[in-house]
Amino acid sequence: MTDLPDRSADGTPPPIRLLSLPVVTTLVIEIYAVDPLPHLTKILFSIDSAPALSSIVIEHDNWESTERLCLGDPWVDVDRWLSRIAKYTKVMGGLLLTLGQWPEGELVWEGFLSEFRESGGRIKVDDSR
Amino acid sequence: MDSIPQELIDTIIDNVPESNLPSCSLVAKRWRRKSQRRVLRTILFKSEDKVKRWCTDIPRDSDGISSYVRHVDIEEIYSWVEPALFSRMLGSLSSLTALSILATQIPDELPGHISRGEFGKGITTLDICIPYCTFATLTSTILSLPDLEELCVGDCEAVPEGPLPTYSVTPQRGPLDFLELYGRVDGIGETLARFRFTSSHLSLDVGITDIEQLLLLSSETVVELYLCGAWSLDPQTEQG
Repeated sequence: MTDLPDRSADGTPPPIRLLSLPVVTTLVIEIYAVDPLPHLTKILFSIDSAPALSSIVIEHDNWESTERLCLGDPWVDVDRWLSRIAKYTKVMGGLLLTLGQWPEGELVWEGFLSEFRESGGRIKVDDSR
Repeated sequence: MDSIPQELIDTIIDNVPESNLPSCSLVAKRWRRKSQRRVLRTILFKSEDKVKRWCTDIPRDSDGISSYVRHVDIEEIYSWVEPALFSRMLGSLSSLTALSILATQIPDELPGHISRGEFGKGITTLDICIPYCTFATLTSTILSLPDLEELCVGDCEAVPEGPLPTYSVTPQRGPLDFLELYGRVDGIGETLARFRFTSSHLSLDVGITDIEQLLLLSSETVVELYLCGAWSLDPQTEQG
């Protein structure tokens, strides 16, 4: 069930062990940069199971108007993790991902988080800033 | 004035802007207590002199104005000339529920006073940022508060040195309602883990060194998890 990311470009050691969070219902992730930092990705991949999780919010803090989203490796890793969590959730209605404070123009719907959506996950955009 | 019910006076005072409360307290005797309760609900000390004046001028009375204080902010007292003033001030506040310490020295003897039950019971919220003290004093202060429910710790220069604190902790302590760690807090998470400080609402800076231990410790209890963006990490380094 566990598939850790292949990349270890940040050079940090792997998580000490895989976590099961049996009662967590809400996960809020606040990121500064356009892409998630490798350190954050590593922490997400240490969460192996969260069957009660119904809501994940990825919120950008202070997205600059000049920054442009790049669907690079960090998002591919996050997509893989989200997909796995969405597949194994036991919550009625599945997992809802809210992209908070997210400029609408920065979504590429065809390719963005495609594995997650194929696994039954839903995406909501909150572009109020 | 005497014919106005006290409940009506209390409602009026509840809705008066804070800047007018000192004047309200002078309207009549029946206005004084409620006005003073609101004025003194939260107090801020930004100098040792202010703390000294509080300890000297305000009588320690379980039903007096010192009992109106629920929340104390202590800021920018980098070093105490008389460290005992910190304990004397806290000891005078019988109804204190929240304590915020910002850029202030925590005297080494403080956790000992709390552990002996001299004060600290009833404090449910503790917010510590940039404390000036040893690691042992910092963690002992946190661990010694018996009724703690919400804890926020950030930007500590103190790092673990020598043996970890040995003050006893209530064995039946329930989980915290809220725990937030941010910035540089080396060793705090591991120490909390050793003393079974779990929480249902966890807010963690992803850059803290012992995040995995804390997640592991809280894995059975955490209901809401908030991961904030690595304040202590350099994004350039991370992305490189």
